[in-house]
Amino acid sequence: MPDDSSPALKSPRQAALAGLKAAAGLPSFMLMASLIGVGGLCRDVGYPMGAAVASTILVWAGPAQMVLFGSIAAGVALPLIAVAICVSSIRFVPMCMSILPLMREPAVPARDGQPARKGTPTWLMLILAHFVAVTAWVEGMRRLPAMPKPERIPYFLAFASTVMLAAAFSTGAGYYLIAKLPPALAAGLLFTSPIYFTVALAAGARQSVDWLALVLGFGAAPLVALVVPAGFDLMVGGIGMGTLAYAIHRLQQARRRRAEGA
Amino acid sequence: MTATLAALEHWSGGLWPYLVVILFGFLPSEIWRWASVFLVRGLSEDAEILVWVRAVATALLAGVVAKLLLVPSGALAVVPVFWRWGALGAGILAFFVFRKSMLAGVIIGEAVLISAALLAAG
Repeated sequence: MPDDSSPALKSPRQAALAGLKAAAGLPSFMLMASLIGVGGLCRDVGYPMGAAVASTILVWAGPAQMVLFGSIAAGVALPLIAVAICVSSIRFVPMCMSILPLMREPAVPARDGQPARKGTPTWLMLILAHFVAVTAWVEGMRRLPAMPKPERIPYFLAFASTVMLAAAFSTGAGYYLIAKLPPALAAGLLFTSPIYFTVALAAGARQSVDWLALVLGFGAAPLVALVVPAGFDLMVGGIGMGTLAYAIHRLQQARRRRAEGA
Repeated sequence: MTATLAALEHWSGGLWPYLVVILFGFLPSEIWRWASVFLVRGLSEDAEILVWVRAVATALLAGVVAKLLLVPSGALAVVPVFWRWGALGAGILAFFVFRKSMLAGVIIGEAVLISAALLAAG
């Protein structure tokens, strides 16, 4: 339900508070559950707890962190690990590219007596980009478009830094706790990412093109994994199925326009 | 390369793990985020190309979910495949039944999965 009851613009502080509140529930819980395991992996390779926490704050991508510590444990050469992480992180490009324009204020030249306005500075865009990961992306794509533009950056920064803080805390706790967990609970923790991403994507799907991309991407994954070399299959499936969904969406649009024109 | 790394490890001492996180974890993933900042320059939020970009990102994430369940790691691998997908299906069903409640979807999905894990172990 969109809460448009108060048309007045929120102050940056109020917007940040709203972001903090939105982060405090399910999103933080889910990130805590999925990053607790990273702490344990880091401990297994004999690194200090601080390295696990640093990986959450700096890398900010659960799967990449698991690849990092898991591969070190398996004795993979460090440059090869960096290549694997670099390849899997290409997925940040479509994610960042779709969410960053929602937040950036364009520069406006002086006109009609209004003074010129500077756009969002690049350093701030780089900071915003750092916070982009699956959770911040699905929640941001779902909530930001309904907000007035000036509220979006404070909201997103507060949201993302809150979930990051919760995740960092959980990574540190996991460093000490993970070995003591019963296996059924450990399975449940590993299941939080898939189930949360699925319902969050479903909750965020607004147009038919979103649903198409969701269903096609999901359904094609097993087939793509068979044909495309590991490491590239997600990217190939994403571009292929995303493009297919977009093409179908365009065809539908064209047909609708033709029907209206007739 | 290996010799350089060994020298670096020796030189950095106790800070080596942090250096590993920065050099081999942070930098290779962060470059894509930073590159995106420059790629979106001049694009307005309602640019048509962003509809396509969003579709690609959505399909990619759906693929990530499918992959997590197809090739599960660690404790999740112990849960039989039928129940992994069954738990996801139950979660999606609960999400729609409880009028698009994400919380209901996650809780029901988790409940089914943890029960299955307990049965599989017991």
